[in-house]
Amino acid sequence: MNDGTNNRRDETPIRVDYDRIDVGDIMAQVRARIAARPVPPDEAQAAGPRPDRPASLPDFPAPDGGEGRSRAKRLLLKLMKPITPLIKLAILPVNEELVRTVRVLDHANRQLDSLTARVDRDIHRVESQLFERLGRLDTQLAITKENVKLLHALSHNLVVELTKLKIEHEALRNKVRILEKDFETLGKRERALEKRPRR
Amino acid sequence: MKVAFVVQRYGLEVNGGAELHCRWVAEHLRKYFEVEVLTTRAADYVTWRNHYPEGVETVNGITVRRFPVARPRHPQRFGRIQEFVFHHEHGEEDELRWLEEEGPLAPALIDYIKGHRDDYDFFIFFSYRYYHSYWGIDAVREKSLLVPTAERDPVTNLRIFHELFRKPRALVYNSPEERAMINALAGNEAVPGDVVGVGTEVPADAAPERFRSRHGVEGEYIIYLGRIDENKGCRRLFDHFLRFKRETGSPVKLLLVGNSILRIPAHPDLLYMGFLPEEDKFDALAGAAALVMPSFYESLSMVTLEAWAMRRPVLANAQCEVLKGQCLRSNGGLFYENDEEFKEALGLLLADARLREILGENGRRYFDANYAWGIIEGKYLALLNSLRGT
Repeated sequence: MNDGTNNRRDETPIRVDYDRIDVGDIMAQVRARIAARPVPPDEAQAAGPRPDRPASLPDFPAPDGGEGRSRAKRLLLKLMKPITPLIKLAILPVNEELVRTVRVLDHANRQLDSLTARVDRDIHRVESQLFERLGRLDTQLAITKENVKLLHALSHNLVVELTKLKIEHEALRNKVRILEKDFETLGKRERALEKRPRR
Repeated sequence: MKVAFVVQRYGLEVNGGAELHCRWVAEHLRKYFEVEVLTTRAADYVTWRNHYPEGVETVNGITVRRFPVARPRHPQRFGRIQEFVFHHEHGEEDELRWLEEEGPLAPALIDYIKGHRDDYDFFIFFSYRYYHSYWGIDAVREKSLLVPTAERDPVTNLRIFHELFRKPRALVYNSPEERAMINALAGNEAVPGDVVGVGTEVPADAAPERFRSRHGVEGEYIIYLGRIDENKGCRRLFDHFLRFKRETGSPVKLLLVGNSILRIPAHPDLLYMGFLPEEDKFDALAGAAALVMPSFYESLSMVTLEAWAMRRPVLANAQCEVLKGQCLRSNGGLFYENDEEFKEALGLLLADARLREILGENGRRYFDANYAWGIIEGKYLALLNSLRGT
């Protein structure tokens, strides 16, 4: 037999019969032990009273113990005796109604609990999907930012290159114009030389 | 006798539960009769995209005929249809549309079964939930056996499958819980069947020290083996384990072995090992204080059987009826339903080496009595011979 080395001092030890291990029995002991454990005050406080239920039933006013009042009560009861069945009849449906209402409320509470659990599950699912999508979008955004940076640098380089090309183009045009003029002069000279009589 | 095993995927690289189960059973039964495998060209179970070449090949001595997947699965469209059939009022045509979208859509495989029904004595279909089983069993009802590998998930509530469970000549269940669930859903008690499951082989020379020195793992640890996935209960396992650590101050570590599709919380005692080779896996298992199995849905947990075959105790999720049932029948492991129970059960296991040892021994006895290959082969042979005689 084991007195349970993981047992707390103030708790029922879990007894294990090593000669005939019975898992069902061990688990039943574990469950009984958990059930016997008091709810920690911080957990109880955190759980708090249910908002749709009163924390406790309202107390009836305590008798003040006065002798006169007691005599009056006895007299009143004696007077009411003939109509007691009527009073009971009137009270009974109210009681049944109350029980029925409590049952309905309890059922509604259970449904609310299951709906809350479902909503929590759905929220968790949606949340994880959202995070996943956000992660993907973040990656895409980073890629797009990089692309924009590259495009910006490319545009800048293109402008510089185009300016250089334009200047070069102008210089070449001037060169061509000069060459044309040179060519023209040379032509004139050639013609003049041809006209000169040979000696 | 010639038997065809029909399964959604098949190959040495395919290590999914039902597919591996099918391969092992086929390889063990080939010594008793002629065995062939009819399957698709898919390797990936998310899209079923054609991967293997079409035609006939031999895998570990077994003839495998592969048929093309006509259309890969479109995950988004499938997700939408699944959401509709799981949560809204719908008809049979919606469920059939879901089945077609789920795939693997291999009409050529069904045509082959129809055209060659006389070439085989029996067709053994694996996994009830796929296209090949639904239409294949419909084509060869009187020659078909179904290994459903069913878990208690929303798919079991689809009406087309209730009818399917009544169609085959026999059913081969993985556990009594699976049998009870299917009987309750389909009212198919009249269909013959047996609880068989699958065997496993573990190395005799597993060496925890080899694993510890190779991977630098020190101190006491518990182990999780399998895909690290929310659907396998891993997120809750992390919560339970971290709370256990916080409240008890125990130095124990949790080793996670397998491919992860879930973010693992950063904690020095949560050790993610990734996918390990078989030798390392068994070495790690041999050195673990216990195997923890947090899955909600299992038809038969093969890693649990491996743990028991290696005399390791198991800590299982009691919300999975199969795992809880196995623990109770074997007396080989404890189980939990919530944080408190996890804390108590794990605390008990870690504190009591003698208890761990006895639970491990009980697990091994349970494995030998129910899941040794001789037992599994005998059950298949008895079932097939009884069907042949009738």
